[in-house]
Amino acid sequence: MNNNAETLLKVEHLCQYFGANRAVDDVSFEIKKGEVFGLVGESGCGKTTTGRSIIKLYDITSGNIFFKGIRIGAGIRSYQEEIENAKKNYKEKSANASPEESARMKKELDALIAARKEDIKKARFDQKNCDKEYAKKLVAEVKAKYEKLLANATPEVKKEYKDALRKAKKAKLATQIQMIFQDPIASLDPRMTVREIIAEGLIIRGERDQKVIDEKVYQMLELVGLVREHAGRYPHEFSGGQRQRIGVARAIIMNPELIIADEPVSALDVSIQAQVINLLGDLRHDLGLTILFIAHDLSVVKYFSDRIGVMYFGKMVELATSDELFKNPLHPYTKSLLSAIPLPDPIYEKKRKRIQYNRLAEHDYSVDKPTFREITPGHFVECNDAEYAKYESMVE
Amino acid sequence: MENKLHVKNLTISFRTSNGKVQAVRGIDFDLAKGETLAIVGESGSGKSVTSKAILGILAGNSIVEGGEIIYDGKDLLKIPEDEFHKIRGDKIAMIFQDPMSSLNPIIKIGKQLTEAMLLKGKARQKESRATFNAYLKALNEAMIKALAKDDPAKAKALTKKCKDFDTFEYKHLDLETPYHNAYQAASDAVPEIKSILFEIEKNAFTDPMERIKQVKKLALDSINEWVVFGAKAGAVRVATETIVNDTKLAKKYGKWETVSKNLEIILGVLEEALTFDMPNFFSMGYYLTFSGEKEIPKLASVAELNAYLRKYLDDNFMLSFIADAKSAIAYSAEASYKEMLEAVICLKKYREVFEAEKLDKKTAYEAYQALAKEVMETVDPLNTVKDTMVYTFGTGLKTEVDKYFGAIVKNASETKRYAKQKAEYDRIVAKGKTPNGEVVPASITDLELVRTNILSQIDRMIEHFENLVAAKSSRDFEAETIALIDFLKANASGIVNKVTKSMAKAKAIKLMKEVGISNPRKRYNQYPFEFSGGMRQRIVIAIALAADPDILICDEPTTALDVTIQSQILELINKLKAERQLSIIFITHDLGVVANMADRIAVMYAGKIVEYGTSEDIFYRSAHPYTWALLSSMPDLDTNEKLDAIPGTPPNMIYPPVGDAFAARNKYAMQIDFERQPPMFKITDSHYAATWLLHPDAPKIDPPKTITDRIARMKERRVEEHE
Repeated sequence: MNNNAETLLKVEHLCQYFGANRAVDDVSFEIKKGEVFGLVGESGCGKTTTGRSIIKLYDITSGNIFFKGIRIGAGIRSYQEEIENAKKNYKEKSANASPEESARMKKELDALIAARKEDIKKARFDQKNCDKEYAKKLVAEVKAKYEKLLANATPEVKKEYKDALRKAKKAKLATQIQMIFQDPIASLDPRMTVREIIAEGLIIRGERDQKVIDEKVYQMLELVGLVREHAGRYPHEFSGGQRQRIGVARAIIMNPELIIADEPVSALDVSIQAQVINLLGDLRHDLGLTILFIAHDLSVVKYFSDRIGVMYFGKMVELATSDELFKNPLHPYTKSLLSAIPLPDPIYEKKRKRIQYNRLAEHDYSVDKPTFREITPGHFVECNDAEYAKYESMVE
Repeated sequence: MENKLHVKNLTISFRTSNGKVQAVRGIDFDLAKGETLAIVGESGSGKSVTSKAILGILAGNSIVEGGEIIYDGKDLLKIPEDEFHKIRGDKIAMIFQDPMSSLNPIIKIGKQLTEAMLLKGKARQKESRATFNAYLKALNEAMIKALAKDDPAKAKALTKKCKDFDTFEYKHLDLETPYHNAYQAASDAVPEIKSILFEIEKNAFTDPMERIKQVKKLALDSINEWVVFGAKAGAVRVATETIVNDTKLAKKYGKWETVSKNLEIILGVLEEALTFDMPNFFSMGYYLTFSGEKEIPKLASVAELNAYLRKYLDDNFMLSFIADAKSAIAYSAEASYKEMLEAVICLKKYREVFEAEKLDKKTAYEAYQALAKEVMETVDPLNTVKDTMVYTFGTGLKTEVDKYFGAIVKNASETKRYAKQKAEYDRIVAKGKTPNGEVVPASITDLELVRTNILSQIDRMIEHFENLVAAKSSRDFEAETIALIDFLKANASGIVNKVTKSMAKAKAIKLMKEVGISNPRKRYNQYPFEFSGGMRQRIVIAIALAADPDILICDEPTTALDVTIQSQILELINKLKAERQLSIIFITHDLGVVANMADRIAVMYAGKIVEYGTSEDIFYRSAHPYTWALLSSMPDLDTNEKLDAIPGTPPNMIYPPVGDAFAARNKYAMQIDFERQPPMFKITDSHYAATWLLHPDAPKIDPPKTITDRIARMKERRVEEHE
């Protein structure tokens, strides 16, 4: 993987709270163009929620998500909290301060509130209008392209222009991110034929020419290792592995740059798993896809990903390249996770000792709160000062 | 090792609208006590169907075409549904794949856990009483026959002995139950107190009131004459008196010193109490019943007391009872041997009936009845380990005889049908048209084969009896007597242990703890949706264990769970297996998870077992290409190359392939693989595989490089981590 590649997706301090439940709590990472980023952790740790927040299935609580430099997700909770804290702070301090001091503080507070309110407004706007922005950009591009041609245009070109313009107006940035779901049975509508399932996205995006649609569908089917004849059938006529291939075809027909694969192989038999992983690997190389690969099977993640982030109860606790992570795990939770991987070797397995992880017992965060820090280049761990020193000495 | 379950030549198919799907095609395996057998295969390979057949929950459209599943001397495929009720869930339990769908979403966990206990409790009580009474009666009769044939006074004395045993047996259970409850409460309280103390120390205390109240209750429950007693009991009482109030204050002001001080006092007492010896309640029961004393003598230590009581029991009752029981068992065994010799003569006599070229219906059935009766008479009523061969002989023989006479009728009609259809077919062909569809060949049962089966069954029985008689001198009646008395004790506890709602709750909570659910008292009243996936699976395991089964079938228990939870659940299953001597059938598609679990592994493909061996055999010396494919298609932590996926999909089992079912997806397939099915080749005593590659004439093919590399790599890793 190229280290200097452009950053495709950037997640900043992403928080997703469902009431009191902090499903994702202050998670930050970047995905470079062309890489596979693995996200692992036990069920309920927030990895799926992270994926769904990115594709905007949820409105995020706070934090920012940038895709190709455009802010597609923005939360306002952190700004609101900041205002509240500032107000509280002001109340406490102004009580026993001189009148001048108090007035100065009031002024500062007002300025801060105004700035944050502006931020909130902007975040709300971005959250709603990122697609419009993107469409505007595309429309401008189309107009620029056809400007000269239109001067002495034939009716065909005019029609083409109209078509392109319509599609550009309907374009959504979110379609550049596609998702492959875990359960190949539940994620396909049983009452739609494979053709309808795969083409749905194209039609919504504004494609009207049935010939083009069919051709595209056939192309996708062949790309994922199915045949043209399958287009007319219904999902129930396929085996689990084939259904997952349909799911993949549905995702890549939109020509996405980023695919979020949420446990794409967990529901499949081992032998079929290998087929689907090989397929994703081939597509990644052929189409230059970037993949956010969410899974709990560590052997698969290790095999497939370039970099891996480990999540624990909504927090990202460790992030490194996959070789580094498996060679030098630093965070005790990562160690515990790695010790749980079953390996195909009876003698080794009978001796394997699983390391238990107990957050309370392992860390003392009562005074010194942890943050996400870089220990060696590219290797991040959640730790506080004392642990930082410990990890550094472990690396050396 | 004692075999728990035999599966012989099991064949199952399903009627569907498209034709008959052959799900299981003649598989054989057996399962020993305390062993884990893993059945590995892709979906549709018939592994789940096998497990469902064992549990008698096959779908309505299934046809059991043949075979036997023998458990406890019964063929589970042939026993009536009423009898199956006593086995299903009670002796053979199952854990399903998806914990969400195997729990009822609208019933509280506690109710789901105790439901079966309450229902089975009554039935079990009746059953154990019947067993206990039957064995005691048989023992009494055998004693009289052996020792007091013509002496009514002696006979009376022996009957009284049995009755005395019965009486003080009850008394002992009355004494033992409260002790166990108190001991359990103490051992539950210790880890709970430790965890509370830990949390107080870390200043991260959640839900204190509830847990403190619980600890208080457990501590008070553990105060018992034999567990926590005397001055220590007083100390515990004092420590618990104000603890709830203190917690309230501590919560308000954040001062936990008093609470933790009291907790430490309780912890100290309980930890000490748990190290004490358990009194011998069995002899205590006798002492209190027959010595005329109302109190247990005060002695310095429990060990001394045990020795004293034991001596008292032995001198006055036990030694003579054991001696009598031993002679009774020897007598009964001798009688059984005599019956066996007679049965052998009888078997040899009636064998001639079946040797005839053509069997006569009347004489054949008469012979079957005489033989079944004669063989059943050899059963020794005092033997607690049932001889499966004797019990299945009758049903097995009847099936074969039925098959023989049924086939005579069926063969005729089949031949007729074939002739008719063939004529029709030929007529259409002769007209120059293409007929739609083929003529289904007549399915003719080979009568000769059935007859040979009958004969070999009889021969096996004769051989079995002769072996038993020859091994007569090696029997240890001393050990058998002790085993019988233990068996009686176990059944007696079944009679006494009435299951009330509160007892079921206590047991459920104990089980929840055993399967690793923290705070079970609170969890008991929650609904399934309040549990995470791993916790739900633990509940399912607890429900399966509630009836104390012998055999646990785990149908992909961890497929829906993630790595850490999977590893926890597997550890739990392993722990329970060791503690309860469970036999486990572990069904999975992932060879990776069974390395740690399985003693033996059977790899299934398209309804057949293709390879069978110990877990080392399969992982280090696998011989079947399908096993190779399974092993090499999963990535491990060092895999970098493209995965060796198995191309294609499993065959359609409506039209199973003629040759080796795996041939079409097998890169090592030879011509013969497409033509004939390979037999099971024996590699070592424990390792078998069905592939033509093992035939002496086949070319020598090494396992794929992925596998050999991995074995080498894992060896290095083992050495590395060992040092």
